[in-house]
Amino acid sequence: MKRAAAWAILLLGMAYFILPLIGMVEFSLSMKRGIYSLEAYRVVLADPRFRETFTFSVVMALLTIVVGMAIVVPTAFWVRLKMPGLRPYVEFVTLLPLVIPAIVIVFGYIRLYNTSSALPLTGTIFGTNLLLVFGYVTLSLPYMYRAVDTGLRTIDVATLTEAAQSLGAGWVTILARVILPNVLVSVLSGAFVTFAIVMGEFTMAALLNRPAFGPYLQLMGANRAYEPFALATIAFVITWACMGLIQLVTRFSKHDKAAR
Amino acid sequence: MTFLTLSHLEKSFGPTRVVKDFNLTVEQGEFISLLGPSGCGKTTVLRMVAGFETPSSGVIAIDGADMVRLRPNARNIGMVFQAYALFPNLTVAQNVGFGLKVKGTPAKEIAGRVEEMLDLIGLPDLGGRYPFQLSGGQQQRVALARALAPRPRVLLLDEPLSALDAKIRVSLRNEIRAIQRRLGITTIFVTHDQEEALSMSDRIVVMHQGVADQVGTPFEIYNTPATRFVAGFVGTLNTIEAEVKDGATGRVALAGTEVVLHRPLSGDRVTLGLRPEAVRLGQGACELGLSGKITEVDFLGSVIRLRADLGGQSLAFDTFNAAHSVPPRVGETVVLGLNAADLMVIGA
Repeated sequence: MKRAAAWAILLLGMAYFILPLIGMVEFSLSMKRGIYSLEAYRVVLADPRFRETFTFSVVMALLTIVVGMAIVVPTAFWVRLKMPGLRPYVEFVTLLPLVIPAIVIVFGYIRLYNTSSALPLTGTIFGTNLLLVFGYVTLSLPYMYRAVDTGLRTIDVATLTEAAQSLGAGWVTILARVILPNVLVSVLSGAFVTFAIVMGEFTMAALLNRPAFGPYLQLMGANRAYEPFALATIAFVITWACMGLIQLVTRFSKHDKAAR
Repeated sequence: MTFLTLSHLEKSFGPTRVVKDFNLTVEQGEFISLLGPSGCGKTTVLRMVAGFETPSSGVIAIDGADMVRLRPNARNIGMVFQAYALFPNLTVAQNVGFGLKVKGTPAKEIAGRVEEMLDLIGLPDLGGRYPFQLSGGQQQRVALARALAPRPRVLLLDEPLSALDAKIRVSLRNEIRAIQRRLGITTIFVTHDQEEALSMSDRIVVMHQGVADQVGTPFEIYNTPATRFVAGFVGTLNTIEAEVKDGATGRVALAGTEVVLHRPLSGDRVTLGLRPEAVRLGQGACELGLSGKITEVDFLGSVIRLRADLGGQSLAFDTFNAAHSVPPRVGETVVLGLNAADLMVIGA
């Protein structure tokens, strides 16, 4: 009886999540009357704005990952190694983007870095793109920091660092050759989550007026019937591909098979 | 000639003085053990030598050069950790070659040295394995090879055998000592295990509450402990209270018998130490024969440890097992033989 109830709840939950997805995919394939076709996808993929915005967001996502990891990995490493007492405070700061809406952050940016400010980043395309990357880094901070910190928790950071130091390694070597390879799976997990977030982000890109995939999704949604559903399916596939890659990386990490 | 000098070394963590006025000189190629209970400051001394802790005051010099301001990665000191600390992402060969790679040694030279080190530790075929594919003993051997590969000036061993099971511990400690002798590398070994310290060391530093209580050879430490702590910590020791009858000649009354210790004593009472193996069952050829009642019999295989009551004072002693001779029973009255020369006067 209990088993049947558990199955019923599971199936109900699955239906709650899967039925809308089926509906979305089904509708995206219904552009031609009476038959299923990939017409909506063909139209979307043929749109030069799709390629432009998609490429822009991919580049922004990759830059966000690089900048974010360059900030987060050394910070998390240093906090764990030298300032463990500060960990709760650092964690609190990294969680702030979850409670401060993106719109607040971006308005803050615009106010601080507008053309009449001391650092007029919004005055140039490069400057605005830079601001967007920093905005994305801020948004992805909770996920990136947690992923890296979890990775660091699985290794004996202090002893490995001291072992490397006793063998003559400096801080850069320790980070690059000892710490980073041992938390690579966690770093990649954080990177894929960041990628998925940036690909669908709307608020910052729209308010900074950059041609990103998020605003394009919104634009299509406001003006077309079937294409937005094709785009949503594509975005959904990208997100799940990222999740799949996290699993794949975890599985194929050779040295990570040790029982910890 | 003195190779490593630790002079007036002090370390405080906040208000707590962990190491107090620690002095030690080590000859080149010497094997020194820092022995003491948890929290006595032995690991802190080791970490100061390695450069992981900065002394509050004092001098650390290797071959006359001051080390205190040198970063750990510039000291050329090898270290083996209790938790192995092998890099999980690198193979055994890559781990062993890590120090050489950091130094920028050519790949061919690294390969040769790695091979040499793996031969030295008796694991020539395991270069391609990852640490998780090795046993604890093998991992610690690899850690030793990794520490030795860059030819360090001093080797530091921080309780390297503690995480291993008893059998492997004994075999590995013999291996470590043999390798150290072969390479002639100056070594400091931290342990809380007296047997390890006694069996491996040229000299032992017994530490207690941040202070080096005694520095000496294993023989000196065991047979002539300088303090009550050393006497109690190293080996098993009976402590017996005796009444001083004549302080000038060292005549004392012990369990109803008078003994001359041939050394001046002060005060009315004195604490004497006696190792269990210095007591014989039956007077035999011993100077003194004391009568006591057996209170405990522990059969340990080759040795039987007994405990007897001597007029209110408890005395543990050992006798070898012999298949044809039945050990005394609890409650039995026996004569215990001992020599005055084996009685140690225990200081503060």
